[in-house]
Amino acid sequence: MSNLNKRKIKVIKSIDELFKLIDINDFTNISFHHHLRNGDGVINYVLDKYLREGVNNLNLFPSSIFPSYTKILELIKNEQVNNITTNYLNGPVAEYISNNGLPGMLTMQTHGGRARATIEGINEIDITFIAAPYANIYGDAIGYLGKNRCGSLGYIIPDSKHAKLKVLVTDNLVKDYLENPEINGENIDYILEVDSIGDKSGIVSGTTQITTNPIGVKIAKNTSRLLFELGLIKPGFSFQSGAGGVSLRATKDLKDIMIKENIKASFFSGGITKYHVEMLEMGLVEKLYDVQCFDLEAVDSLSKNINHIPISASDYANPNNPNQVIKDLDMVILGATEIDYNFNVNVTTDSHQTLIGGSGGHSDTATESKVSVIVSPLIKGRIPVIKERVTTITTLGKNIDCFVTERGIAINPLRTDLLELLKDSKLKIYTIKELSEIAHKYTKVPKESLKRDKIIGEVVDRTFEVIDNIYQK
Amino acid sequence: MSRSYLFIPGNTPSMIQNLDVFESDSVIIDFEDSVISYDKDAARILINNFLKKFSFKEFDIYIRINDSLNPNFLKDVQATIDLDITGYVLPKAGLEAIEELNKHIDNKLIIPIIESPLALLKAEDIAQSNNVSGLLLGAEDYTKELGINRTLNGTEILYARSYIAIICNAYGIESIDTPYTNKDDEIGLREDSINAKNLGFTAKALIHPNQVDIVNDVFSPSTEEIFQAKRIIKKSEESNKGAFSLDGKMIDLPIIEKAKKVLEKAKKYNL
Amino acid sequence: MKTTAGSLESSDCLITISDSDALDIKIESVVFKQFGDDILEVITNTLKEHKIDKLKVLCQDKGALDYTIKSRLETAILRRGENNE
Repeated sequence: MSNLNKRKIKVIKSIDELFKLIDINDFTNISFHHHLRNGDGVINYVLDKYLREGVNNLNLFPSSIFPSYTKILELIKNEQVNNITTNYLNGPVAEYISNNGLPGMLTMQTHGGRARATIEGINEIDITFIAAPYANIYGDAIGYLGKNRCGSLGYIIPDSKHAKLKVLVTDNLVKDYLENPEINGENIDYILEVDSIGDKSGIVSGTTQITTNPIGVKIAKNTSRLLFELGLIKPGFSFQSGAGGVSLRATKDLKDIMIKENIKASFFSGGITKYHVEMLEMGLVEKLYDVQCFDLEAVDSLSKNINHIPISASDYANPNNPNQVIKDLDMVILGATEIDYNFNVNVTTDSHQTLIGGSGGHSDTATESKVSVIVSPLIKGRIPVIKERVTTITTLGKNIDCFVTERGIAINPLRTDLLELLKDSKLKIYTIKELSEIAHKYTKVPKESLKRDKIIGEVVDRTFEVIDNIYQK
Repeated sequence: MSRSYLFIPGNTPSMIQNLDVFESDSVIIDFEDSVISYDKDAARILINNFLKKFSFKEFDIYIRINDSLNPNFLKDVQATIDLDITGYVLPKAGLEAIEELNKHIDNKLIIPIIESPLALLKAEDIAQSNNVSGLLLGAEDYTKELGINRTLNGTEILYARSYIAIICNAYGIESIDTPYTNKDDEIGLREDSINAKNLGFTAKALIHPNQVDIVNDVFSPSTEEIFQAKRIIKKSEESNKGAFSLDGKMIDLPIIEKAKKVLEKAKKYNL
Repeated sequence: MKTTAGSLESSDCLITISDSDALDIKIESVVFKQFGDDILEVITNTLKEHKIDKLKVLCQDKGALDYTIKSRLETAILRRGENNE
């Protein structure tokens, strides 16, 4: 293999130089990925230029927004931002938007929905800035090598093909050939070489540790028992879990069952942690389909384990992509800040209407997997997790099958097949209303006082259906 | 009859209001070591209000009160005597302490903690005292009094363990092993529990909810034991004789009684 | 003189009581919006049970359930009585 037929991409050395070549005012719809999470340096570097130039009517399309993305807040406060389209946001930007809204709208897409909208031209992106930990002069790039390696670059791959202008931003530019690059240089217009794209240690978030909290341990235990009783833990099964402590504990419990029963899984997908990698290396699972690395062990595994495969957001969860990995998922374990009598789940806002997250792949995987399981403590600091109606719908109840707490399990009545399988179970199975009453026995019924005066955003499912509004708090 | 006795700190609401979720066969609400001296009154009031508001049928609740020489001893008993609890766990137990506690209680069981060499010597008399339903070995204090260190394999408490297990068995009360203090070491906990079970203990005390699963597992009769017990009982009902042979082995009354116990446990623990 | 009971741990509350010419109840709670009225009711009822109509009460709540709020207030009242003996 060689670089013979490859085209060298123009390398520029600063953002100022880039905007001497093109007019910044023509590029107001801007996208980024968040694979470096809280360690990203590219978003602030690029947006600082927009701030200095005073470019108005910006529409931002970051795949997520983390607390360190401070320039976004400065731009908003400076009234330069019109709309934001993202999958997940927390920190100061989230708080500011919750309280004040935007001149335009906040659009919350799913990971799969974002890929679809980008490919199908709904997200009209003028320019994408792709933080690339390892790139060659032909514009090919991967995320799992380089001093600021962050693992999979899955979320930005649709942008790297469909944005009008594609700029690779790297602090590690090489001349070598790159086999199976995640970002294909054919699509790249410019390479922006910088000193640093950020700090890779920022990708690790505090929540990606197995919980030892006894309540969390009990929820995980109930979850693995449930999955086992449903007959889902069988040779060749496929599985995804969020990176929350309880989900990871459930994954560990599954691992124990798999070892005991001598069962091997076919694949795990989604966000990958060291715990998933360990199971791959133990031979308990054949493949990891990785759209995002949650820790550095997962990042390094990508470069050494051939069956740990980075995939694009479209191959992960785009409903119009026939190859989407999650279509073959047997089960997914997901979290909830709230769930309601209709099994609608909220992971977008807290009960005070502050934005604290977003779907990510929540709705995508809940919709596609054969069984979706929500795990949560029944009571969080006196607030019962079950509501009559969630503050914000992130995932529609029709896509949620099981809800597991420390005090019992509720099965969506639509899943009569699951209820039938569990009719002789020793697990504590309740209706969701009964579970809610158990919580109220401890907490009493909380007073609800939600403000629904001004719509500041909407939750758009992967189907492009608006499933809920987000209101100013 | 319990496999697990889980200690829950008596003045920590977040633990107390969840004491029913941990699946321990018995819960011991602790007023002694896990409650600092100036909060003893707070613990008494908290537990009183809690147990008056919430009641539990699926497991037994005990309270570990302060020892009989501690000024809180009487207050602990008086504050909890009307509550729906199974009994008291009595630290630093001796014959006089048990007698003293028996003066104040009615219809409640006592589990003395054997945690001194003297108490161990008197263990046989303690086991026969009124309302005593089991003995709990407190190895931390016991070894401290002997001036020796705890080890992982526990040879230093082998005699105490064996002695307590034998006495409890002889007098038909429960024998409860000392807690395993490293809450994160699951392999060590399992090994320690198996060791205790092999010496004749029927249960183990626990200091952390995450230990419940392993201890319940170890102190449950195995599938094989249950299967054999069923065969023994079936044959004994058919043969109508005091002794008979099964698979070439003699089965007599003690073995039949043991099989009954196994089945009783299996039924209670849904095995 | 101030008397306290409880803690600022999650699911607990810290009650501080002191002399006053009237009933003066102040509540700071992480769940005030949802449960402020309930907390006030527990405090008021507990004071009534103890026939107290003049007291300053500060409840700093970290999501305590009713039984805990009642217990912490009763502990503070008990301690106040002991201190006054």
